[in-house]
Amino acid sequence: MIRVAFKILLHDSAKFLALVLGIAFASLLISQQAAIFHSVMESSARDIIEASEADIWVMRPSVETIDQPDQMPELTVQRVRSADGVEWAVPYYQSVARLRTAGGVTKSVAVIGVDDASLVAAPRVMLIGSIEDLRQPDAVILDAAGFASIFPGVPQRVGDVVEIGERRARIVGISAIGPSWTGLPRVHARRSLATELARESSDSVTFVLARARPGRSADEVAASIGAETKLKAFSRAGFKAVSQEWVLLYSGVAENFGITILMGVVIGVAIVGQTFYMFSVENLRQFAALKAIGVGNRRILAMISVQALFVSAIGFSLGIGVASLFFAVFSPQLTGGLRGMFMDPAIFAGTGIFVVVVTLLSCVVSARRVFTVDPAVVFRS
Amino acid sequence: MQGVICRDVEMEFATAAGPYRVLKGIDFEARAGELTMLVGPSGCGKTTLLSIIAGLLRGARGSVRVFDEEVTSQDAAALVSFRLRNIGFIFQQYNLLHGLTATENAAIPLVAADMPWPGASARAATLLKKLELGAHLEKLPRQLSGGQQQRVAIARALVNEPRLLLCDEPTAALDGSAGQAVMELLRELAVRPGRAAIIVTHDPRVFAFADRIVHMEDGRIQRVEAGRSAGAAAVTSRS
Repeated sequence: MIRVAFKILLHDSAKFLALVLGIAFASLLISQQAAIFHSVMESSARDIIEASEADIWVMRPSVETIDQPDQMPELTVQRVRSADGVEWAVPYYQSVARLRTAGGVTKSVAVIGVDDASLVAAPRVMLIGSIEDLRQPDAVILDAAGFASIFPGVPQRVGDVVEIGERRARIVGISAIGPSWTGLPRVHARRSLATELARESSDSVTFVLARARPGRSADEVAASIGAETKLKAFSRAGFKAVSQEWVLLYSGVAENFGITILMGVVIGVAIVGQTFYMFSVENLRQFAALKAIGVGNRRILAMISVQALFVSAIGFSLGIGVASLFFAVFSPQLTGGLRGMFMDPAIFAGTGIFVVVVTLLSCVVSARRVFTVDPAVVFRS
Repeated sequence: MQGVICRDVEMEFATAAGPYRVLKGIDFEARAGELTMLVGPSGCGKTTLLSIIAGLLRGARGSVRVFDEEVTSQDAAALVSFRLRNIGFIFQQYNLLHGLTATENAAIPLVAADMPWPGASARAATLLKKLELGAHLEKLPRQLSGGQQQRVAIARALVNEPRLLLCDEPTAALDGSAGQAVMELLRELAVRPGRAAIIVTHDPRVFAFADRIVHMEDGRIQRVEAGRSAGAAAVTSRS
């Protein structure tokens, strides 16, 4: 009877197309909005994500998020190193400074100072140059989007000399870093130089990055650092979550995106559910004829389920395909609000599961109509 | 041999104005090997009686036996199997599945009874050829005329050799000649020893094909006449 189910489904190509497009649109809406929200949240913890060598972040107790750094003395690094379970600890510096080009363009930039010796937290992906180039005098690495914003229309290159915080700096590399919450160009330098660029004292540290010893969990070691130093310490995942929670609580992004995603889900449910329900109801008489002939409810449910799964698979594939194309086109661009946005595999899978579940639920509701339809309806003209 | 025996069948429907009795103590028989016509004005309860005999409508009082199998006491799941095993339907509006070819439509009862498609299609095609639809086996219902669609419906009703054939106004949607042709086919193919056929109809032009004509009015059997073999003489009558 599965063949019959397919024949009923595919017979009216206009209705079939409407079903597929409805589900495709719902899949597109939900996956795209969820992916944009997820990308925005990821951007709010960009520097934590980038510093992947460290699995523990230590900061002053007053710090609530990565974007609210507070100065600590350099001695703090030693205190963290001596804490139980710490494999290594390095200083990390973060601030905002003013950049001026030779052509007179000025921009605010995020200055990130990485450990002079180990270069822990330096950019992982370089488009031009190498992180080792940071060891050169006055060397800074600028991210690709920042370069495009500071030098519009200029092909990526190194060697430009700029002023940051009224101090000379030379661009020795171009990095590929995802977008950050603030949207500022990101300048990486050795910490000793970064503090000068930000016009701070040379022993300033805003975070201490550490790694737990093998066999010890980051959460456990962070707890012992907190207890021994009276500083705030989180695992990398914990600090990422805390920073994202802060953005959710105080930025309004949760409300805005929450409403958008909720609308996407509601519209998606309405489109998927209503479209498939209407399709089944329109075929009620045909199902009633099958019931009269002697096709049982279980078989009819199987037929409707096969129709639902087939339609949702095609519709989902189409919708997620368009959403993926959307990100493939806009994500690599160096300018614009969609830069670096991407679809996490969990969103891909979650949207698929959601669409299938909604379609199956609407199929159950439709099946209830079919189950309760009086088969004697076939006797009525 | 008795095909269908109804004894004191009553049926009520709930309405806004209170219970409405559609059938008021029906005693009815349809013999195997005969074509019985159920006739009467609209609303007299013909289709309701047909639905109860078919096991499509539950809740009737009294007894309905189809080839010695009590219908009224069976649950819904048992009735599905009962219909598949015993009953072939022909509907006024044909009720063919739009997306299926003539052969596939005719094969449905066999496939529903778990026969593989190739065997079911072959058997359906053989029957359709007998019904002079050999040139239309792969056509969809919308590509067929009303008379051709009704012949496909006849094939579907007979393909699994049911013991009881139930037809609801099979000629109502057809013109005079197509209606006559359909009735001739029904007479030829459906009326067999061991098989009973009941036709609900308004169409007096087809009365000549009946072995017996049962007249209903206001939920009751009014009289029973002999059909074509008995020269339409009254067999029994009741008030």
